[in-house]
Amino acid sequence: MKNIVEVKNVTKEYKELKAVDDLSFVVKEGEILGLLGPNGSGKTTTINCILSLLNINKGTIKIFGKIMKPDAYDIKKDIGVVFQEVAVFEELTVYDNLDYFCGLYIKNKKQRKEYIEEAIALVGLENYKKFYPKQLSGGLLRRLNIACGIAHKPKLIFLDEPTVAVDPQSRNNILEGIKTLRDRGATIIYTTHYMEEVELLCDRIIILDKGKVLAEGSADELKELANMDEKITVEVDHIKETVIEKIKYFKNVHEVSLERNTLIVTYKKGKNNLSELIDLLKENKVTYSKIFSERPTLNDVFLNLTGKELRD
Amino acid sequence: MLWHNFKYSLKVLLKNKILLFWTFAFPIILGIFFHMAFSDIESSEKLDVIKIAIINNEEFDRDMFSKEAFKMLSEEEKIFSITYTDIEEAKELLKEEKITGYLLFEEGVNITVNRSGINETVLRYVVDEISSNKEIMTEFYKEGNSQMNISELKGNIKDISKENLSYTMIEYYTLIAMSALYGGILSMFITNYKLANKNAVGKRTSISPAHKGGLLLGSLLASYLVQVVGLSLLFIFTIFCLHVDYGNNLPFMILLGLIGSLAGLSLGVAVATLIKANENTKTGILIAITMLGCFLSGMMGITMKYQIDKTIPLLNKINPANMITDGFYALYYYEGLNRFLMNIISLLAFSLVMLLLSYRGLRRQKYDSI
Repeated sequence: MKNIVEVKNVTKEYKELKAVDDLSFVVKEGEILGLLGPNGSGKTTTINCILSLLNINKGTIKIFGKIMKPDAYDIKKDIGVVFQEVAVFEELTVYDNLDYFCGLYIKNKKQRKEYIEEAIALVGLENYKKFYPKQLSGGLLRRLNIACGIAHKPKLIFLDEPTVAVDPQSRNNILEGIKTLRDRGATIIYTTHYMEEVELLCDRIIILDKGKVLAEGSADELKELANMDEKITVEVDHIKETVIEKIKYFKNVHEVSLERNTLIVTYKKGKNNLSELIDLLKENKVTYSKIFSERPTLNDVFLNLTGKELRD
Repeated sequence: MLWHNFKYSLKVLLKNKILLFWTFAFPIILGIFFHMAFSDIESSEKLDVIKIAIINNEEFDRDMFSKEAFKMLSEEEKIFSITYTDIEEAKELLKEEKITGYLLFEEGVNITVNRSGINETVLRYVVDEISSNKEIMTEFYKEGNSQMNISELKGNIKDISKENLSYTMIEYYTLIAMSALYGGILSMFITNYKLANKNAVGKRTSISPAHKGGLLLGSLLASYLVQVVGLSLLFIFTIFCLHVDYGNNLPFMILLGLIGSLAGLSLGVAVATLIKANENTKTGILIAITMLGCFLSGMMGITMKYQIDKTIPLLNKINPANMITDGFYALYYYEGLNRFLMNIISLLAFSLVMLLLSYRGLRRQKYDSI
């Protein structure tokens, strides 16, 4: 697979703040790359740099093998962008908005009409063509925002936090739409701070913090970095310190913590960890209201790498 | 691309009720208020004859042109009631408020008045007019045209007769100036949509393969069209509903309206690109600039225009509202087109300067921050 985007040693500074710090990565053809990081980690700035909207202090950016510049119209015609903020005309209907933005790329009216109908179907706005943006709910507005960015069938799509502040139905619709775009062959760069979304969608994930790459790989590869394989959470009524000490001596236990009535036990690896723990609690007559086991999340990876939560 | 952008810019502008209010409705509403407020004043003021004194000294006695002019304006046109007297008596008459002012011919004409008001302004403009006509006549004589007869002289002076000297006309001129400049709100609004550092839609259009020049041109043409339609409606409304008489120079009036609108458009583009603020603040700034310009050019009273002309002439020279107002004034009151053309050139220069100042911001495609 060839490289669609090549970002090499890119640095973007705002006075004393380095928003992007010597960032390098590539995006392969047909993949969905997730840029994951907390607010202010440099995700949107990275996208704006790649799109040549922002001046960069250092580095090179290539798209489709060519240097990206503001007047690189041959590159731009194959790019679609869905910005974090809704970028539509309040004064135009859903259909007219799509016709306007798609018309910036596709001159043939007949072809444009077909593309617009497809985009409308993709985001599920068939019943809202004549609606004005202010008549749409937040979720529907986000869908329109996406449709305006992808109606011209771009080969490379940037999706910058497209599901922020949307209802679950619209969120599912948007995520399904993104999968469809991938299946059609588009290469996608997807930024978010929702780890579930990148796990669900992305072939490869880059975790960003303070404009730097903290880790890169598939979701499974990244979870290796969490230094644990299983996490068991127990809502206990009461537990003695001696019992906690006994848990610590179990094979494979990585860490045990008690915060108020929540006991969290993390394991490096191993099988039957849950049943072993239940047995111990029973023997020591520890009563509990809830017990459950989880695989590590990307938040645990982020926590392990930075000492802070993704949504801090 | 030009047509595509023109079509949708037009749709966007015509769907925005706030823009339509400022462009179409507000000038007409203001025109109705002017009509209600000033029509009575105008008709009652027309009956007044302005009492003045002229110091009957040697210089005045030698100044045949002025003598003839004031004689005519007091006898045939009934603008002035003139007392020919000496300086002491004139001062006394002014002190007792029996006259509006007196004229002393001493190395030119010196006007002495007690206060600012309509009569004082009329006196000032008439004196200025006579002086400028006298200069033309003097040049005429110098060039050997010694056969200039008194009827030609009267013809020139008649242009400033009471019949035409409607000071409320200035209010309508400033109204048109305001309407032309308010068009800047349209161009400002539409330009914002093209700037990636000001607007999300601007970001979206910036990353498209469409050339920025074509996008901007299509949008600005649409805003200019809406602006000119708004101005035309104001003309039609004031002429046919308010019975305002703008004179007989319709082609020149249209030219002034078109170029005045261009000045408004360029002002809007400049505000959009040069001022770092949100859209509402920019609209407020643009309205404030326009209203201030109109105020200084006589919207709330002709004396302001006169005072600015007299005390800070540069201010009115760079004030686009005054350029438009003065252009209409020149068309209405002056025989020649020199003053009118000067205003046209000034408006074109103003537009060019505004667009040049905006050029960097308009051309820019890459930013330090967004």
